[in-house]
Amino acid sequence: MDPLRAQQLAAELEVDMMADMYNRMTQACHRKCVPPHYKDAELSKGESVCLDRCVAKYLEVHERMGKKLTELSLQDEELLRRMQQGTGTA
Amino acid sequence: MAAAPPSSAPGGPEPPPGPPLQYSMLLQHLVGEQRRPRAWDPATFGGIPIPPKSEEQKMVERVMESCPFKAALACVGGFVLGGAFGVFTAGIDTNVGFDPKDPYRTPTAKEVLQDMGQRGISYAKNFAIVGAMFSCTECVVESYRGKSDWKNSVISGCITGGAIGFRAGLKAGVIGCGGFAAFSAAIDYYLR
Repeated sequence: MDPLRAQQLAAELEVDMMADMYNRMTQACHRKCVPPHYKDAELSKGESVCLDRCVAKYLEVHERMGKKLTELSLQDEELLRRMQQGTGTA
Repeated sequence: MAAAPPSSAPGGPEPPPGPPLQYSMLLQHLVGEQRRPRAWDPATFGGIPIPPKSEEQKMVERVMESCPFKAALACVGGFVLGGAFGVFTAGIDTNVGFDPKDPYRTPTAKEVLQDMGQRGISYAKNFAIVGAMFSCTECVVESYRGKSDWKNSVISGCITGGAIGFRAGLKAGVIGCGGFAAFSAAIDYYLR
């Protein structure tokens, strides 16, 4: 698979991925940081601080998971290539 | 992970198998080193498009939510309230203008007013310090915990009361902690 095709495919998928990640992040951080009391329409100081931290952690987790997944997929492809070479020469 | 393209429905003609999808390269373009940085417009992400906040608005909001600003606000408010309270209590106090050398002399209006002013200033300073300490500790505790509930005011009340009472000894510090914590819990309960 050539890098140009991979780049085009990634550009198409990235928009979906970002929108999905944003929705999930909003849902998760809202559930964790904003208790359902609603006495005031404004976000209090504690809630704003909690949301900042939640978003930072979520993005870091997203980045690390992506790197780990890339590593695992490289290992998998290596294994598959070796298997194919094995059956090819057999 | 390499995947073959999905096969068509049974009975139909099979499409020729294409090259396997190389996930690792795709992932590197998506989340890895080869990702091109893009400018994401946060207004288009959520369901409802809202106009983005300007930099000045963000800065003003950041200042108004910060701990030092809240402490300064409580200090000024405490000063005003303490001054009013001091002048009021001096007004209903019979000992204002008392001269120890001549207890039966009626104090002059100037002496009474001076005494009331001094008392008002002293109350005002005390209230200002207490208010600033309480507001500062409450803001710091709330920033640390990341939650906003009743425990913030109780903890900061205990710290403030303890710090004030500690100057008169450990027991006074403990009593001050308990008393002030109970007082702020009651005020918080009334306000929420």
